[in-house]
Amino acid sequence: MMERGSAVALVRVFAFMCAVVASTMLTVDTGRAVDDAKYPTNWKGQWTRVVHREVEVQGAFDQTKPWGLGQQAPLTEEYQQVHRNSMEDQKNGGLGNYPTARCLPSGMPRMMTFGFHEYVITPETTYILLTSSDHLRRIFTDGRDWPKNPKPTYGGYSIGQWIDEDGDGKYDVLEAETRYFKGPRAFDASGLPLAFDNQSIFKERFFIDKKNPNIIHVLTTVYDNALTRPWTSDRQYRRLAERVEQWPENWCQEGNANIVIGKENYFLRADGLLMPAKRNQAPPDLRYFTQAPK
Amino acid sequence: MANQVSLRQVSRRRAIAAFVAAFAFAQWTTIDTAAAADAQYPNWKGQWIPVIRTGVADPHLSFDPSKPSGPGQQAPLTPEYRKVFEGSLAEQANGGVGNDPTAQCYAAGMPRMMTYEAQEYVITPDTTYVLLGGDDHLRRIITDGRDWPANLFATYQGYSIGQWIDTDGDGVYDVLEVETRGPFKGPRAYDSTGLPLHFDNESRFKERFYIDKADPNLLHDEITVLDAALTRPWSVDKTFRRNLEPQPEWPERYCHVTNNRIVLGKETYLINDEGLLVPTRKDQPPPDLQFFTPAR
Repeated sequence: MMERGSAVALVRVFAFMCAVVASTMLTVDTGRAVDDAKYPTNWKGQWTRVVHREVEVQGAFDQTKPWGLGQQAPLTEEYQQVHRNSMEDQKNGGLGNYPTARCLPSGMPRMMTFGFHEYVITPETTYILLTSSDHLRRIFTDGRDWPKNPKPTYGGYSIGQWIDEDGDGKYDVLEAETRYFKGPRAFDASGLPLAFDNQSIFKERFFIDKKNPNIIHVLTTVYDNALTRPWTSDRQYRRLAERVEQWPENWCQEGNANIVIGKENYFLRADGLLMPAKRNQAPPDLRYFTQAPK
Repeated sequence: MANQVSLRQVSRRRAIAAFVAAFAFAQWTTIDTAAAADAQYPNWKGQWIPVIRTGVADPHLSFDPSKPSGPGQQAPLTPEYRKVFEGSLAEQANGGVGNDPTAQCYAAGMPRMMTYEAQEYVITPDTTYVLLGGDDHLRRIITDGRDWPANLFATYQGYSIGQWIDTDGDGVYDVLEVETRGPFKGPRAYDSTGLPLHFDNESRFKERFYIDKADPNLLHDEITVLDAALTRPWSVDKTFRRNLEPQPEWPERYCHVTNNRIVLGKETYLINDEGLLVPTRKDQPPPDLQFFTPAR
C-alpha cells in the first residue's frame, strides 16, 4: 500500500513531467520544426521522365502520344501552319521552330522533359534542379504576390502553394502557376509551337503517385494563344535513385554541329569546315570579306 | 527514528529526481533530434553578388578579385603555361578566342564558375547547393559523410565533398570546408583572357566558406588551387555581398542567347545584327566553302 506522502509526490512528479513534455513540445515545435515537418521528405533523389517507348522517345509534351502531329495539340489554324512550316523546314535540313537545336534554352514546358531532375524543398522555395541546358526552376512558396515588372525569362516566374490534401498533417501536393516568358519556345523537337506573344500561363500539380512512391506526377495545363483551349497532360517521372553517386552535366555546345548564320542553318564538320544542311543551300554571304573564298 | 524516516525520504526524493531528470533528458534528445540537427546549419539565405574591389577596373571578372584579370593576376604559372597564356593573349589581340572556351559557350567549370553573379546557397544536411547565375547551373557540395566515389566521370565542375564545422563552439556550424577533385573536363580558364588551368584536368580545389565575423552580409570563399600549371598552390579570398532585397530578381543567363561569335576551324568570326558573317581582324580569310556548289 502506498503511503499518502508518496502518492502526492508521484502526482506532483506526473504533473511536472506533463509540464516538461508540453514545454518541450512548445519550444521545439513552434515555428520551424513544426513547419518543416509538414513538407514532404519523400521527393528526394533523381527523377527522369517516364518514356513509353512504344509511343515516343523524343520527349513529347504528352508522353502518351507520338511527338509532332501525333500530339494532336489543339492548335489554332494560324499555329497549325507555323507547325507545318517548321516540319517542312526540318525536312529540308533546317531547324524549323525548334530553338533548342541551336542550344537556346527550351524554357517552359519543354525544360521539364530532359535529363534528370532533383527536388529541393524548403518552406520558402521549391527548387527543381535540371540537368539539361535549362538550369533550374524556383517555385516560390513564401506567399508572395506576382512581381510588378518581372523580366521575362524562358523558365518564367513560378509561384506555388503546398496543400495537405489528405489531411494527415503533411503536405502532399504542390500547386504552381508560371507566367512571364521569353521565346520562341516549342513543345517538342518538331517545333510544335507556343504562341510568339509569350503570354503562356502554366498551372501544375506536383504529387507522388498514391500507389507507387517512385512516380511523381506533374499535371500540367497550358493556357496559350496558340491553342484553341487549355491543354492538359499528366507528365510523369520515375525515381531512378534516392541517393545519387554523381549527377551528370549536360552541355548543349558539346557535340552540337548546328551553326546558324542569318536565317540559314549549316553543319560544322569535325575538321571545322562548314557544310550545307540542305541540298543546293546557298553558302553564307561573305560581303564583309576582302579575300575570295576557297 | 526521525533520522531513519528522513533518510528514506531523501532516497525517495533522489530516485524521483533521477527519474525526472532521465525523463526530461529523453524528451530533449528524442523529441527533436532532427530539428536540433537542422538548427546546427547556418542561415546563408539570400542572393550573393561577387564583390569587385574598388579601384580594380576589370571587365573580365578575375579569379583573384583584388587584382585585375589576365597578367594582372600574377598567377604563379609554370614557364610552359606562361607560354600558353601568352599565346592566348596574342590570339585574342588578333580577334580569336584564345584559351577562353567560355567564349564559345562551353562551361566555365571550376574555379571560374564561382565568379558569376547572383549565387544562392541552399543548405540541407546532405548537400549544400550553390545555385549560380551564370551558364554553369549549380554546384552540389556533398556533406553526407561519403568517401570519394570510385570511377567518377569527368565534369567541368568536378566532384565536391564538404564538411561543416562549428569553429566557435556555439552549436551552429559556421564554416564549410570543401575539397573538389576531378577528373575535370577542360580546357578551363580562370578568366576571359584565357589564364589557363593545366590541360591534364587534374586540378584540386580546397575551399573554406564562411560569413565574415564583422559583417553578416559578407560571405568569404577562400579558394586554394592545386594545379600542375602552377609552381605553387594559389590562394585567393573571393567575397560575396548579400543583396538585402527580400525578393531579389534571379537572372537567367544563357550564353547562346547573346553569343555572336562562331569558330570555324581555327578562325573566329562574328555574326552582325543583320545575320551576316564578318571578320574579326583585318584581311581575315573567309571560311572555306568547298562543300558548297553554288559558291557566291
